[in-house]
Amino acid sequence: MKVEVVVRGARRVVEVAPLDDGCAGVAGGMLVRDGEAEQRVRLEPVAGSECWRVVVDGSAVPARVIRTETGAEIVLGASRVAVDVRRALPIPSRRAGASGGSDRVEVRAPMPGLVIAIPRSAGETVEAGSPVAVVEAMKMQMDVAAPASGRVEEIRVRPGQEVMGGQVLVAIRSDGAVRGEGA
Amino acid sequence: MARLRRVLIANRGEIAVRVIRACRDLGIEPVAVYAPSEADAPHVRLADAAVPLPADEPAAGYLNPGLLVDLARRAAADAIHPGYGFLAENPVFAAACDAAGITFVGPSASVLARCGDKAAARAAAVAAGAPVLVGTQPVEPSEAATHARKIGFPLLIKAVGGGGGKGIHLVHDRGGFDRAFQLARGEAETAFGDGRVYLERWIRAPRHVEVQIVADAAGRVVHLGERACSVQRRHQKLIEEAPAPAIDAGLRARLADAAVRVARELGYRNAGTVEFLVDGDECFFIEVNARIQVEHTVTEATTGVDLVALQLRLAAGEPLPFEQDAVAARGAAIECRISAEDPHRQFFPSLGVIDGAIEPAGPGVRVDSGVWVGQRVSRHFDPLLAKIITYAPTRDEAIARMRRALAECAISGVDTTMPFHRWALEQPDFISGGYDVRFADAWGAGPQITDGDATAALVAAAWFARGTTALTLPADGAPSRWNAAGGADRRRAPRVR
Repeated sequence: MKVEVVVRGARRVVEVAPLDDGCAGVAGGMLVRDGEAEQRVRLEPVAGSECWRVVVDGSAVPARVIRTETGAEIVLGASRVAVDVRRALPIPSRRAGASGGSDRVEVRAPMPGLVIAIPRSAGETVEAGSPVAVVEAMKMQMDVAAPASGRVEEIRVRPGQEVMGGQVLVAIRSDGAVRGEGA
Repeated sequence: MARLRRVLIANRGEIAVRVIRACRDLGIEPVAVYAPSEADAPHVRLADAAVPLPADEPAAGYLNPGLLVDLARRAAADAIHPGYGFLAENPVFAAACDAAGITFVGPSASVLARCGDKAAARAAAVAAGAPVLVGTQPVEPSEAATHARKIGFPLLIKAVGGGGGKGIHLVHDRGGFDRAFQLARGEAETAFGDGRVYLERWIRAPRHVEVQIVADAAGRVVHLGERACSVQRRHQKLIEEAPAPAIDAGLRARLADAAVRVARELGYRNAGTVEFLVDGDECFFIEVNARIQVEHTVTEATTGVDLVALQLRLAAGEPLPFEQDAVAARGAAIECRISAEDPHRQFFPSLGVIDGAIEPAGPGVRVDSGVWVGQRVSRHFDPLLAKIITYAPTRDEAIARMRRALAECAISGVDTTMPFHRWALEQPDFISGGYDVRFADAWGAGPQITDGDATAALVAAAWFARGTTALTLPADGAPSRWNAAGGADRRRAPRVR
C-alpha cells in the first residue's frame, strides 16, 4: 500500500509491502520503499501498545510510537519526531488549516497541574517570553511564558484550578512579535 | 537495643520495594502503606501487610507524621523506615517516632533539624574545617537585593528547607532577581512549609561529587567512597556513578576526609551523604543529605555493602560491622534514573497510565523499580519510576552494559527520560568522564535528527500499514508484493512498474 508521510513539513509517499524471503524471524517484516531506497523494516511489539523494537536493515532500535490525531509521534533511540501519516490518495489533497493569518495565540498548560497564579489580567499587554501563568506539578512551579507579545484577550482559568496538559490557559491577541524558540 | 522485628515503610515506589528487600534479607517483617491509586503497586504486593492511606494527596498520607506513627503502632511495628523524600528528613516525624517508642531509621531529630536547615549545616561544615562557598544566612526580601549585589551575579537562591535539588533558583543578572526571589519563596513555602531562602555564590562549571558515610551509635564514622552526580537537569540528578571519574587520589582523599569530619561535627548517626561541588582541584561543602539517597545503589555495587540493610542494623543499635581499612571499592557502577518526564519538552512531567513495561536484566544489570502495568502516574508524586544500575570491572564496560540495558528497557504510556540516557551514553564528554554539571544543557530539546527523519518516515509508514491492513500474503501465486500489501484496498492499489 502507499502511505503518505509528512515529517517536519516534508511530504513523502512511501510504499509498504509484506516481506516473504523465507528467512527465519521475518514475521511482521516489511519492505518499505521511499523513492529509490528500499529497506527492510520489522516492528516487534515489546510492551503493550506503544513500545516497539524496530529493526531497520538489520539494526535494532528501541522505539515508541504514540498515536496522534493526524499520525504519530515517534521516539527512536534518543530522538523524537511528529509524523503525519495517512493512506496516500490517487489525487493529492490540499491540507486544511494552512496558516490563515489568525493572530490569536493560545497559551496552553505544558503539563497537567495546579494553576498557582495568573499574573496578567484581560486587556493587559504582555511581552513575548514574560510569564502569563504559573503552574505547579510534582512540587515544581513553572512560569508559562507568552509565546508572542500582544494583548491578553481571554483568561480561561483561575488560580487554584487543576488543569490538563495542553489545556488553554490564556489567549493573546498577538501584535506579530513572536519569540524565537518553539513553544 | 533489641533486633527489629517489624518495620513500617513510610514511602512508596522503588524505594519502598528496596527497603522491603533489605527487610527480607534480615528476617524483618515489612509493612507497607499505600495511597488509594496504588493498591496494585509492587511494594503493596511484596510486603507482609499493606495499610491504606486516606488519599493520594501527600499531605493526607505520605506527608502526615501523626497518621504514619499511628499506623506503625497499630501494625505493631517497632521501627519506621522513611525512605527518601516525603518525611525522610523531617525532625518532627523523627521526634514523633521517638515519643511513640518507635525506632526511626535515620539520624536523630536534632541532627535532622541541623542538616535540614541549610544555613546551620553550612555553619557545621565551617566548624568542621570543611571548605564552603561564599554565601549568606537566610535573607529577608527587603535586604535580598543588597546581599545579591555583594555576592555578585550569577548567584543561587536556595531554600533553607530545600535539598535534593529542590528549591534552588539560578539568577543570571540583577534584572531577573526580584522575580526569581519571589518564585523561590513561593515554591519554598508550598514545597517545604518554610519560605526562608539564602544566597550562595554560583560556580560556572562545577562537578557534583558526594561522599557516602555511615555512623553507628558509638559515634564511629566510616566513608564508603564518593559518587559523581553531575548529570542534572533543574538541579536534579539523572545519572550517577561510582567512583567519580577524573578525580585524582589527593582530591578523593580530601573529599572523604571532609565528609567524615562534617559527620563527626554533626554527631551524625546511620547512613548519610555529604555533598560537594568540585571546581578544578578545589572542593566546597554544599549540604548533608540525612537519608538514604536514590543513588546509593552505585556505592553498593562498588563496595559490596548493602546500605539499606546496614541502615536497619545501625538503627537497631548494632555497631558498624567493618572498619575504614576494610572498605575497598572495586570496579565501576552507573545509575540511570528512569523518570516520567518528557526529555524532548524540557523534562516536563509526563502523566498518564503505564500500559506496558519491560525491565532489562542480565550480567551486571540491576533494576530497582516501582513500576506496574496499570500504574497511574499522577502529579502528586515524584516522577521517578525506576533505576537501572550497571556494574562492571571497568567504567567502559559499565557504560556498554548500560547501553544494552537501555536498549532492552521499554515503558509505554508515559514519556520517560530514556531517550536522554541513550543520548548521554554516546557523548564523548560522558565517555571520557570529564563532564561537569553543564553536561545535560547540551541536550537542549533533543538531538536534531536529519537522516533520522527518513528512518522515522519508514517506521511511521510500516506502523501505519501494519495497523490498518492485515499483512498476510495472498494465497494465489506470486503477484507483485506491492499489490499484495494493499490488503482490502488491493483493487485500487496502483501498480508499481
